[in-house]
Amino acid sequence: MDPRRTLRIARWELLKGTDSVNRRTVLVALAAIAVTASLGVAVSLASVSPDQGIYVVGVDGDSPYERVVERDDTFVVRDAQRDQLGDGIDLYLSGAEIEPADTRKGRAALSSLRDSVRRYNEAVMAGEENESAAFPLSVRLEYVERNGATPAADPTDGDDGGSDDGGGFDGDATGGPVSGDGSRVAVPRVGGQPLFTSTQQGRPGDISPPFPFGALVLAFAFVVPMNFVIQAYGASVLRERIDRRGELLLVSPASPGDIVAGKTLPYLLTAVGAGAAIALYVGGGVGSVGAVVPIALMFLAATFLAAMFARSFKELTFLTVTISVGLTSYLFVPAIFTEVTPIALISPLTLVVRDLLGQGFTAGQYVFSTAPFYAAAAVLFVLGLGTYREEDMFTQRPVHLKALDALATRLRGPKSVAAMTVALIPFVVVAELLAVAILYPLVRSLPAVLVVPLFFAAVALVEELAKSVHVFGGYVHGRFEDSTRGALTVGAASGVGFFLGEKVLLFVYLAGLPALDVGRMAFPETAGLAAGPTLALLVAPLALHVATASISALGARRSARRYGLAFLLAVVVHLVYNLGVVLLVA
Amino acid sequence: MSRSQQLTVALRELASLRREKTIVLAILIQLFVAAFSSFLVVGLVSMYDPGAVDATSTTVGVAGDETDDLLAVAREEPGVRALRYETGDAAREAFYDGGGPTATASGSGPDAVVVTERLDDGTVEATVLVPDGSVRTTMAVVKLQELLQQYETVLRERRAASLTHDPVPVPPRAPASPYLGFTYTVLVPLLVFLPAFIGGSIAVDSVAEEIERGTMELLRVTPATLPQIVDGKLLAAAGAVPIQVALWIGLLAANGTPVANVPELLVFATAVGAAVVALGLGVAVATRNRRQAQFVYSAGILALFAASLLLPETPQNVVARLAIGSAGASTYASLAGTVAIAAATLVGVRWAVPRTNTDGL
Repeated sequence: MDPRRTLRIARWELLKGTDSVNRRTVLVALAAIAVTASLGVAVSLASVSPDQGIYVVGVDGDSPYERVVERDDTFVVRDAQRDQLGDGIDLYLSGAEIEPADTRKGRAALSSLRDSVRRYNEAVMAGEENESAAFPLSVRLEYVERNGATPAADPTDGDDGGSDDGGGFDGDATGGPVSGDGSRVAVPRVGGQPLFTSTQQGRPGDISPPFPFGALVLAFAFVVPMNFVIQAYGASVLRERIDRRGELLLVSPASPGDIVAGKTLPYLLTAVGAGAAIALYVGGGVGSVGAVVPIALMFLAATFLAAMFARSFKELTFLTVTISVGLTSYLFVPAIFTEVTPIALISPLTLVVRDLLGQGFTAGQYVFSTAPFYAAAAVLFVLGLGTYREEDMFTQRPVHLKALDALATRLRGPKSVAAMTVALIPFVVVAELLAVAILYPLVRSLPAVLVVPLFFAAVALVEELAKSVHVFGGYVHGRFEDSTRGALTVGAASGVGFFLGEKVLLFVYLAGLPALDVGRMAFPETAGLAAGPTLALLVAPLALHVATASISALGARRSARRYGLAFLLAVVVHLVYNLGVVLLVA
Repeated sequence: MSRSQQLTVALRELASLRREKTIVLAILIQLFVAAFSSFLVVGLVSMYDPGAVDATSTTVGVAGDETDDLLAVAREEPGVRALRYETGDAAREAFYDGGGPTATASGSGPDAVVVTERLDDGTVEATVLVPDGSVRTTMAVVKLQELLQQYETVLRERRAASLTHDPVPVPPRAPASPYLGFTYTVLVPLLVFLPAFIGGSIAVDSVAEEIERGTMELLRVTPATLPQIVDGKLLAAAGAVPIQVALWIGLLAANGTPVANVPELLVFATAVGAAVVALGLGVAVATRNRRQAQFVYSAGILALFAASLLLPETPQNVVARLAIGSAGASTYASLAGTVAIAAATLVGVRWAVPRTNTDGL
């Protein structure tokens, strides 16, 4: 790979990208932005309430609540009789009496009225002269860290909001994020709720509970720019495939590696640059940016592969949306379990969260979080590069057939099969870690008898797929010797490759995953290691992997249907083995 | 005879979408949202209204001058368990110890501490300590707020003689589902409008891509005229909208969220869908370039959305009121208005497209 060529292609990518947006579009876009901005101003002046008019209140005679419901636009007020309750009327007010309709809606209306009365009372009391009677209770709310040791002195650095300025909670920025040079950053808020916690002083009605997972939401802001970057990147790669435009670069001295690296570089730098800008704004540091790099690489790698497989822009759009949704869920779900460190570390967003909260992370934790991402991104790029050539690039085939092509181009014989199995291991790790994260809350609430087989089935499915799908691709393209002996050789190679590659999973020790029951279930090899290595421990998994991979290979040799059946058989064998091991060990 | 040309074009559109198999993804996402709406709503509401999910009870350590009063109020509050401590320092110590490595899962110490002090002017100051950075923090703060508001009401009642206006008595607590509001005001409108926007995006893509690839020319040499081609594409993209909306409503009902006024909702969804699709088609024919068309379409939708917020009853509100069964005269007026605007847009686009410069289309 020649760095100068790569940089030149990167420069062309940047310059060329601007000409598809011509003057007419820019004018229209500017007009749309201007219209939206002026409307935005108008909207902020108008009062918009999503709950407007959803509950109907019937009033019969005089009621002290009538003032309350008339002020609140959630309620629609009508004159009504008691017998209309439940038939168009959700709440019936008569004198001091309130009767809700006997429906979910009626009870929800009563609950809403309760909140409305509280707000009304606060407003009325604010107009009272005798403040100590109107607001007899003042509250000072402090968020403190507790780690088993009583602090010597409570921090009393809050400035008092005071009741003389009309109440309301003033937060100071003590609990907020601190940027590198020590200056305070304003406490960010989401819909009126503070993201980070800070000391508050005022009346009970003005307490705003902190937004749950505040730091995680902020970490999310790092991921949002990726969605836009990959749209542009995917479109750029797909455009090379239309009308054989990419042929011009392919016949140049630049290698496919140079071309892809050059095309990807500007987008990678944009994504990481946006991440760095956001980090600066919210007070993160180098750690946040370091955790964003593998996420950006993964997004770009998946998009590159999608663009190499898609047949049209419509298809590319939907593939990009799948990637966005899938990767964002993978990043979000494990990070929610902030109190269980090993689970949370499955997602690199936890590294960002810890950096934002000032807790930091170790090198081992960084490797655990990001290694699957780096490895998977590398494999995806390599697979995509395999199809970046004249024979494959300009053909239109369904996505799944293209995927098989991509896998098959790298295969020559048994050794390459083993290497490819090892290359697919990062995806196995990713899938299994995601299953662990999803399983973790289920383990608490459902009986183990239900959860364990389900989990083992998922694990077996993923592992068998990783061992056999490229073998099937190879047979479809006629890469291997078409005989039973050939199939067994290829299957054995795949099994051996998987057995060796599996040892890399021991890196999960870096995050202490085996300390959890769920972690031990997912990675039984680590449990075995604690008991001490024995011959059975070495031979049994090897025999399993070789056996199941050979079964799949024998099926793949014949036809797609045979492969499907053989694959299912292999999954069942693997499942039985896993359950057997658990019963023996337990 | 002309009806079958339009239908042919429409069916061809739908067939090409089905063959690419990726439209299935957008539908699957909506299917997932509708089918698992009950779970999703619980998860989302716990972020939107943290007090709504009362899974566990919060233990509060109480100390100070007004301990007896606070304990009496706490006994009436569900989800709050109050422990008495003799001094503020004792309470604080138990609180800090409770967070250490020796604490069990159920917590040996209180989740929060309230220390009260009676001031000289007769008011009470409460200092509240809550753990920082824990998932239970939000829960604890919400429960404490309810407790303290109830206590404030009790104190006010005692001082009623010094007040000129009486506070309105607070209605009793109702065993209400906190998710109801969210489901009808956010989830249902989302599931009604999403098919419309996706339909518009598909219409833009289908026309723009045909023009870019040159297949529009081939379509025009068939017996179908340009207005018929436009009709066919409109029919395909907009026709899918009421079907999807009906399906989502059915799934929501199966999930325990009954939706009222279904025919009116379908009419509304179809009107919005038709208008959006017609606009998308017009934009694609005008710009003739997929990237620009999608850009202008997205900007246009944003502008329309912002404009709709100025209406006395926003589209989201119309859907919410129809779905929950609280529709009023203004709701039906908005519905009629939307249908009229959609019809006008459709007629306008059908009239304008053949009259543009159709060279190179």
